[in-house]
Amino acid sequence: MSTVPSRPGAAWQAYLLPLLMALVLLSLALAIFLGVVDLDPSDTLAALLGHGSPEARAIIIEIRLPRILTGMLAGIHFALAGLLLQSITRNPLADPSLMGVSQGAMLAVSGFLVFSVYSHDTGSTTLQELPVQWLPLVGTAGGLAAGGFIYLIAFRRDLGPLRITLCGIAVGAVLHAIGIGLMAGWGSGRLEVLLEWFAGSLYARGWQHALFLAPFTIAGLAILPVIRRPLELLRFDATVARSFGLSYQVQFSVVLLIACALAASAVGVVGPVVFVGLIVPHMARFLAGRHPPLVLPLTIALGAIVMTLADLAGRLVGGAEEIPIGVVTAICGVPLLVALLRKTP
Amino acid sequence: MTAVSGVGPLRADGARAVVLIAVLLAVSAAVIAAGLTFGTKPLSAEAALAALLRPDGKLDSILVWTLRLPRSLAAFTGGAGLAVSGYLLQTLTRNPLAGPGLTGVSAGAVAPIVACFVFLPALSSVFYPLIGLAGGLSAAAVTFWIARGGNVRPLHLALAGISVSLFLGAITTYILLLSGPQVPSLLFWLSGGFQGRSWPQLLQMLPWVLGGTVLALCCHRVLQIMALSDQAASGMGLDLALWKPLLLIIAALPVAGVAPVAGPVAFVGLATPHIVRLMRPVGPAWSIALNVAMGGLMTVTADLVARSIALPKEIPVGIVTALIGGPIFIYLVQRRNSAFAGEA
Repeated sequence: MSTVPSRPGAAWQAYLLPLLMALVLLSLALAIFLGVVDLDPSDTLAALLGHGSPEARAIIIEIRLPRILTGMLAGIHFALAGLLLQSITRNPLADPSLMGVSQGAMLAVSGFLVFSVYSHDTGSTTLQELPVQWLPLVGTAGGLAAGGFIYLIAFRRDLGPLRITLCGIAVGAVLHAIGIGLMAGWGSGRLEVLLEWFAGSLYARGWQHALFLAPFTIAGLAILPVIRRPLELLRFDATVARSFGLSYQVQFSVVLLIACALAASAVGVVGPVVFVGLIVPHMARFLAGRHPPLVLPLTIALGAIVMTLADLAGRLVGGAEEIPIGVVTAICGVPLLVALLRKTP
Repeated sequence: MTAVSGVGPLRADGARAVVLIAVLLAVSAAVIAAGLTFGTKPLSAEAALAALLRPDGKLDSILVWTLRLPRSLAAFTGGAGLAVSGYLLQTLTRNPLAGPGLTGVSAGAVAPIVACFVFLPALSSVFYPLIGLAGGLSAAAVTFWIARGGNVRPLHLALAGISVSLFLGAITTYILLLSGPQVPSLLFWLSGGFQGRSWPQLLQMLPWVLGGTVLALCCHRVLQIMALSDQAASGMGLDLALWKPLLLIIAALPVAGVAPVAGPVAFVGLATPHIVRLMRPVGPAWSIALNVAMGGLMTVTADLVARSIALPKEIPVGIVTALIGGPIFIYLVQRRNSAFAGEA
């Protein structure tokens, strides 16, 4: 006999989380079993369990699995960063790509590649001789630096949500122009690796990428319970939040830093995948309905699902010349985005 | 009494604007003249002058007449066009963040041109401005539709425009990935540059820029009323349903002309109208004229820097304009009493 009357709609929303978990596993399975190389399902299963043909094992363990995991982690990062940014800036359109973080990573990566090509000019035209293994680190550093810069110039005035957004747009636009210009001015025939990265791609992402992302993911998820209450309060105006006893500036900065770190590390690994951070929190909010506590877990699950399915679509539709995931998310994201923007008062 | 004191300063302001424009044009001319002497093969001032006045078909006069002079003129024209477009968009939306870049017009013009360049190589580049116009207009229409006219919440327009640009940018990047060997030249164009632009390209974009500017000048009264508010404008008998789309088309004309030639040169369209506003012109007509002069000057200077700073290589002019225009933009956003404080 519960004294609290259950709210209508609670019935099916209770099943939402398990359902999405099942969907995560389903999309994972789909992504593993489907691919350009047609593998026998039983062979795939055997490879997963550690035996099976060497060919299947190489494809599954060395190519598909790390790639999918990298995608899932990156999807979680983008979605979480989007949710955090949207909450604290009180702007339904906030997204790592709109806030200058992606552009900072992009500028850092293009600057780094151009510099490294010229500093030890071996006359190489092959990808292997470029220091691509450093790209995630450089991209992360660049994204964080851009985030920090935006934070600093916004901090000099008032650390308002509007100020942060405007500074993000401004700095992002400048960095983007410089990044593209740098690549066009000094890049050479070796641009394709960079272009692929710019489009946002999971091509040839291996275990080292997943392992690079994992610490960020774990740290980000671990800190979520701690910032849960501040996050709720940051939705309010600064004065209102303060009246609840929130040290607004400190908490705002902390959440912003977490969002920047999540977004920057993901951008560093897979490139600026647009719209995931923007759309997924809205999908989560829509599904959660009148159960706000569900938004956070739903965002995480949906981020992983969306990335995995988008990558799968890009792999299957494009064939051997796969479509970069950034293009897939851009195309799929636009109708959703338009609907969203029109709905926003 | 009020009439007299009203007319007096107005005249004086008009005269001031004339002087300002004359100064800007003179500086531009000086920059263009200086640009004749810079380059991989530096010319002395006398040699450049001699080649300019008496073209004789030798190397010097080829350098001056087919490379450096038309290129600088193209840069001036392009910058002027982008500035006028930015001014129109900002007036139309009363939104300080509007500009060819942040409303999606540039990205919309670029994406279909890249697509045609890669997939329809047979198509003559004469049609590129038309394609760019169609693309730019559709992108702007989508942006404005999303942001509901863009004058309710300035930030909304910028976010909508960036989202549209991001989408088109993703498509453009994908097309670039498919294009293979043409990537470097396309990329250079994408970052905005006047390298190798000569008389044909100048002539190709001139009518678009001129047309846009002249039409904008013809509409200066409408623009003046538009600057007030939608209610005031329709209260004065302005048919907004007619004029808003019309002005949008006029604003897209110069971008459509400039984009196929020089690519999307960043920030000129956004920053120039704000610089011009600091000069306090009276009325849209003078504003447009000042925008032409200022945008031209900025781009010519940026182009000169871009092609002489890293000789013998050349950097895209987009980097330079971003470095000039970006800080202005950031300053704008930073101002304490900025127009958008509390509006978003």
